[in-house]
Amino acid sequence: MQPDEQALAFPCADEWLTAILSPAAPASPAAQRGVLIVVGGPQYRAGSHRQFALLARALAARGIPAMRFDYRGMGDSSGPARNFEDVDTDLRAAVDRFMAAVPGLREVVIWGLCDAASAALFYARHDRRVSGLVLLNPWARTADGLARATLKHYYVQRLLQPALWKKIATGQFEFGKALRSFAGLLRTSRAGAAEVPASTVPAAAAAPVATPAMPASPDLHARMQAGWQGFDGPILLIISGADLTAQEFLDMVKASRQWRKLLAAPRVQRRTLPAADHTFSRREWRDQVAAWTADWVGETGPRENGPRETGAHA
Amino acid sequence: MSPIAAAPPAQPFFLDGGAAARFCLYHAPAGHSPAGAWLYIHPFAEEMNKSRRMAALQARALARQGHAVLQLDLYGCGDSAGDFADARWDIWQDDIRRALAWLEQESGCAAGLWGLRLGALLALDVAQTRPLPGLLLWQPVTGGGQFLTQFLRLKVASRMLSDGKDGNSGSGGTAALRQSLAAGEPLEIAGYTLAPALALAIDARAAEQFTPPACPVHWFEIAAESGRPLSPAAARVAAALGAGGATVATHVVAGPQFWATQEIAECPALLDATVQAISEPCHAA
Repeated sequence: MQPDEQALAFPCADEWLTAILSPAAPASPAAQRGVLIVVGGPQYRAGSHRQFALLARALAARGIPAMRFDYRGMGDSSGPARNFEDVDTDLRAAVDRFMAAVPGLREVVIWGLCDAASAALFYARHDRRVSGLVLLNPWARTADGLARATLKHYYVQRLLQPALWKKIATGQFEFGKALRSFAGLLRTSRAGAAEVPASTVPAAAAAPVATPAMPASPDLHARMQAGWQGFDGPILLIISGADLTAQEFLDMVKASRQWRKLLAAPRVQRRTLPAADHTFSRREWRDQVAAWTADWVGETGPRENGPRETGAHA
Repeated sequence: MSPIAAAPPAQPFFLDGGAAARFCLYHAPAGHSPAGAWLYIHPFAEEMNKSRRMAALQARALARQGHAVLQLDLYGCGDSAGDFADARWDIWQDDIRRALAWLEQESGCAAGLWGLRLGALLALDVAQTRPLPGLLLWQPVTGGGQFLTQFLRLKVASRMLSDGKDGNSGSGGTAALRQSLAAGEPLEIAGYTLAPALALAIDARAAEQFTPPACPVHWFEIAAESGRPLSPAAARVAAALGAGGATVATHVVAGPQFWATQEIAECPALLDATVQAISEPCHAA
């Protein structure tokens, strides 16, 4: 039988964070690696359609302790709301608490979806205890990148679909709205810097969308790249096929030789769920992600003792 | 304004263990004897997640005013045990009774219910079966049937967008889904597996048909601007409950519909109005 989950409160700067620990199933060998689930987008530690809660339970059942938490200003944790670009202190406090809560735990894999994947990239190289990263649909949005990805992957694809034309014929398609959105995107993709209102993101009405409202600071791509280069552990990259955020990330990679090289390295394993949306909003997709995560955490194994190559550290 | 930093931390814990485990967050009241006690009932599915921040802000604000506040995750929701697919209306009612008992024991005073959206409808339903010192209703769902239809529309819309299917064309979309439910088929909607039994229980609930609660009721609605009247549906239900003998005070405040916004939104006017409402004697609407 699965041991009970534990509710934790711990300090971070002047605030208090709330976390849930899912201890590993008792039959499993003493776990040396745990998974810290970091929350991304407008979510809290349970996740969209409880993805993080269910993931933590699935990992625990496979013998991997998992902890998930709200950083400052999110969910039940106190303090003013903050951006994913400024959560290093929160991640460190969470790793500390996780280590203290699970005796024998020596290293932590950070699991992050959307902007939490980006936050994990920023943080990982600064903490030796972080031995691996699971990054899902990483957030690499800049204003012009969003507009280009939308045009390329959404509208062009839809114009080729018979169902769209059928919908138009039966009066179910909201022309005015779509045209306004389309025109705005064209402007943005040409002008580069203009703001893209969140409402132009397709499918916002249909599925829970977990994306930040505004494009992040202009040096986001450079910061992510520095984080990727500076961290030398294994990385599992999980991509949803039907997600603009993931497309923007892959577009960024495609456009840069350095990024392509980083992703081609043997320490990087890539998995794609072709039909999945941004938040993996079906049970089969969530289960697949949980299985890939557990397999990968098991395969990559605990890190050897001794210093890691640290030449790339900033 | 940053009184949050100075506030004592809320205490997260699980009420019981195993399948009975329910996540709770207890905000102890400031001062020695509590001014009141409130149990928070969250809304349905993704609305719960979006409104988590507002619930936490309000719970902390009430605790600072001397109220004991308990936030509860219902079965199959949030951090509580179980799967959403196994959640049932009557399990949720039992959860509420269990949490009320804990809160009353801990605080030493009778506890009222504070519910948001479907949580408010659930609170009104629990008020049918036991005496309560008060009800705080935030943007209550007044008709379960209409609420279910809106939730089913998410599936119709998602089919139209993702699969390029036309959602069984036009108005047939939600009707066909209702037929599936009636035939006993669970539906996966926006990542949540909705059991027919839960859907039917929600479908059957209408606030207008409830026996008016014997306790003071504070009814809050959010509008785009201040000075707006209560929505017609809410006004009708509030009037019906009032006519049946309930003391209903209605409040309309300006702010975003934070349970449904794409981003996490805060509504300070609602936080203030709620604190103010329960520090005053309740007046009839």
